[in-house]
Amino acid sequence: MSGDRRLPPSFVTFGMRVAAPTVRPPPGRGKERGAGGRLRGLGRRPGLAALVFALVSGLITHADHLFKYPLYLTDEGIYMERVWSLIRETKLTPYTYDYDHAPGGWITIAGWVLPLPRQFETFGTSINTGRALMLVVHVACVFLLFEVTRRLSGSVLAASIAAFLFNFSPLAVYFQRQVLLDNLMVFWVLLSMFILLHRESHIWKALGAGLAFGMALITKENAIFFAPAFLYLLHRGIRGSTTRRFVRTLWPFAMAAPLGAYIMFSVLKSELLPSRLSFSLSHPPTGHVSLLYTLWWQLNRNQGTLLTRGSYLYSSWLPKDSYLLLCGVAAMGTCLYLGMRDRERNHGFLVAGLLAFGYAFYLLRGSVVLDFYVIPMVPLFAMNIGMVADRILRGSHRFVRVGLPVLVGLALLLAPATGYLFTYNDQGRRQVADQYHLNLTVMQREQVAWIRHHIPPGARLITDEDIWTELHDVRPYYPYAHSHWNASSDPTIRDKLFARNWQNIDYVVMSNKMRQAIVGNNGDGRESWILNAIDNHSTVVWQTGQGDIRLQIYQIQK
Amino acid sequence: MMPLLYACLVIVSVVLTLLSAHVLYMMLYTWGRQGDGGAAAEPARFRDPRLSFTVMLPARHEEDVIQTTIDRVVHASYPRELLQVLVICSADDVGTIGKAREKIAALRKEGVTNVETVVFDDGPINKPHGLNSALPQADRDVVTIFDAEDDIHPEIFSLVNTVMLDERVKVVQAGVQLMNYRSTWYSALNVLEYFFWFRSRLYYHARYGAVPLGGNTVFFDRDLLMRLGGWDDRNLTEDADIGLRLSSMGERIRVIYDDRYVTKEETPPTTAQFIRQRTRWTQGFMQTLQKGTWKRMPTRAQRWLSFCILAFPQAQVLLGVYLVFSIATTLAVKAPVLVAMVSYLPVLLLLAHFLTAAVGLYEFTESHGLQASPRLVAQMAIFWFPYQIVLAYAGLRAVWRQLLSRHDWEKTQHVGAHRIPVTEADANVR
Repeated sequence: MSGDRRLPPSFVTFGMRVAAPTVRPPPGRGKERGAGGRLRGLGRRPGLAALVFALVSGLITHADHLFKYPLYLTDEGIYMERVWSLIRETKLTPYTYDYDHAPGGWITIAGWVLPLPRQFETFGTSINTGRALMLVVHVACVFLLFEVTRRLSGSVLAASIAAFLFNFSPLAVYFQRQVLLDNLMVFWVLLSMFILLHRESHIWKALGAGLAFGMALITKENAIFFAPAFLYLLHRGIRGSTTRRFVRTLWPFAMAAPLGAYIMFSVLKSELLPSRLSFSLSHPPTGHVSLLYTLWWQLNRNQGTLLTRGSYLYSSWLPKDSYLLLCGVAAMGTCLYLGMRDRERNHGFLVAGLLAFGYAFYLLRGSVVLDFYVIPMVPLFAMNIGMVADRILRGSHRFVRVGLPVLVGLALLLAPATGYLFTYNDQGRRQVADQYHLNLTVMQREQVAWIRHHIPPGARLITDEDIWTELHDVRPYYPYAHSHWNASSDPTIRDKLFARNWQNIDYVVMSNKMRQAIVGNNGDGRESWILNAIDNHSTVVWQTGQGDIRLQIYQIQK
Repeated sequence: MMPLLYACLVIVSVVLTLLSAHVLYMMLYTWGRQGDGGAAAEPARFRDPRLSFTVMLPARHEEDVIQTTIDRVVHASYPRELLQVLVICSADDVGTIGKAREKIAALRKEGVTNVETVVFDDGPINKPHGLNSALPQADRDVVTIFDAEDDIHPEIFSLVNTVMLDERVKVVQAGVQLMNYRSTWYSALNVLEYFFWFRSRLYYHARYGAVPLGGNTVFFDRDLLMRLGGWDDRNLTEDADIGLRLSSMGERIRVIYDDRYVTKEETPPTTAQFIRQRTRWTQGFMQTLQKGTWKRMPTRAQRWLSFCILAFPQAQVLLGVYLVFSIATTLAVKAPVLVAMVSYLPVLLLLAHFLTAAVGLYEFTESHGLQASPRLVAQMAIFWFPYQIVLAYAGLRAVWRQLLSRHDWEKTQHVGAHRIPVTEADANVR
């Protein structure tokens, strides 16, 4: 962050350069600015140094304990299971693909896994292999976030603050290490924004930006909530340009191309429309899955608001990093205010504010929100905070301008209350924060090792998705190991293999909180026969735990 | 059998996708460059006239339009003493010769004496042979060709004089533009092909040193042309051939398209005429491909680009056949989803071509003070597919003629639709 140098904001230019907002020179910097090209050349160095620092620190914070913390998540297992199916079976999923997610994310992951020398086992486990990609994606995102923020604000300081928060926030480290579609979506969104903000933007860049945004949409459909910010940025960029007609036409085309492929896939499989064109939520259509029905169902899901007690906001996000979230909300409001007040001069603030607001609106609108849905907010809040901090410090003395952010950064890193680098343990003693200290995944690896040593490959197992690929891709294979989700809902598995009868289960391999998930998914009694097996006919043959994490293996007694 | 069919489908799809993407790139090349037409920059001001020009006007059965064309050339804004006009006709075309001589006589009465006819009576009777026949009589610095129906801009000679002197180039291809975009069902699409070809694609070709020149509004240093031995009179696209021969010699070719100075032409008046014109072009490209000039290009990139240009009409045939085939496959054969999705990639690119063309329509009409409308775009959309099929048919016809060794010149009829106001031309057709 030292030696911050204000570079001219690069506003989108499709064939013409839009005048950058006038920047009032900070006191004491007159000589620096007046020195012309020679000093401008030197001025690139601090920006480069800050970028390198951001990249290296991002690499370290995310690589350290990458394969140990956090615990392998069910969703990570689901995506790796689908990658496995793509590579081994040329199918989008080993079970019935019900359009719950667009497949762009795991197709991307498959593109990573396929050329690796040992494919899924290159980094030990399949999820580790996916996490290695997440590390690469994170470092790429650091670069993109740094550049996007720098271009929107014209400030290396703003970019450095954004990258710092993006790298060190416990919220960021926790979720960005995991194999989640949201991380890939963020990459595509930032890439699209980066291309749009390029100094020499033109038709090809508009095509590239549109394509990247289209990829974001088929990685995770929620990216649609960034569309207003993109449209505004595009609209502003092509004003008065002689290529405006081409850009206005080809950007949406490029964006729609990946979406079109997704829709065409459903058409080719005769799965675009539901059976008998029924969109009834109370009586779901039977016969075949449908893209439009799933979308309709997802749009109508409701789980209270994020602001109600017990939501992930209070139970997970704020405890992990309340500083980022609270400052982020304030910064987002400030950016929107500054941007709306003067769109010409504060164009970058408006774009940053719109990006964050679009996704915040999605989270707050009252649909189902999962723990990791916060992922896109992290870089956006970081960006907004960086830009507002830069604006606040703009008029201050150079010493304050550089020194104050450094002090705040050090405080965040060193104060145990923040959880950035240190934390308090149960005894109230200071220790290194969980994300750089705990080894949780070892328990899941031990669980798999126990299965291999004690359970015959032909056994019928009810498991969670976190170990699915391990059991299907590493010898000895366990072809009859299925997650409780699929065992209770996929007709082939439910009716043919298990026949909804507890006596057809040999073992239940419990992941952490799997019982809660089974109970939560049992509203219509679909998992009762599994609960019956666990509660009334089983013996615990293996278990382990750390803190409040518990893993077990039940043998079903027949 | 089916796996083989699917494999072929995938390979053809991928090849066509790459080709179509390349074409899209070339269509947008000029706009895609920073600075909005930086590649198309024309001189800000003209130099004083210094170069002299021989204007060749090859004409065959052009009684209706030849007099107007002669008139436009001689009244260009360029010193008359620096212009020589040669009206080239075959001896059997007495109608055009008569009209040309009538006009020359009238001009002489006005004191204009720099126009003469060149009549040849040996074969083959085609444009390149006519040009070669007149070449010995061309005695000015620069030789240029205009077609009998061309509407040339009065400042075109000043423009080329400036470019040749400033940039020390010996070959200049200036813009040619079809204008009657509402005359027939295919007019708008045909007009836009020209628009993208001269406005963008030729710049790309010039940048990479493989330029298939156009048939008119092209300017050659006379000495260079003599050294080259003129045109290949056995070739049905002698213009593209001479461009590639020049490129293979390493000669730099300057392309210049400025909406204000384009030479205005018309689309063929009927579908049959359009097909004949396309057949001739495709066959000419096939001849040039077989001739192997492209193999003598200095660099691999030039050779590859030349090959692509010359083979493109065949690819267009393939694309047309492919479109029909892909629809049939969708309806009749349940191909694997992945194969079906790959096979739609070229269709996606075609859609991109169409969208680009639709935008091009607005660009074209705006730059010429004309009007585009959503209705016209809708009309283009309706006729887009038939247009591709017609192009494919013309390509197939060219292949057939080539196999039969029929190399006679199928002349395109001109009615002067670009010379009457667009609304009037439109009304005439209706």
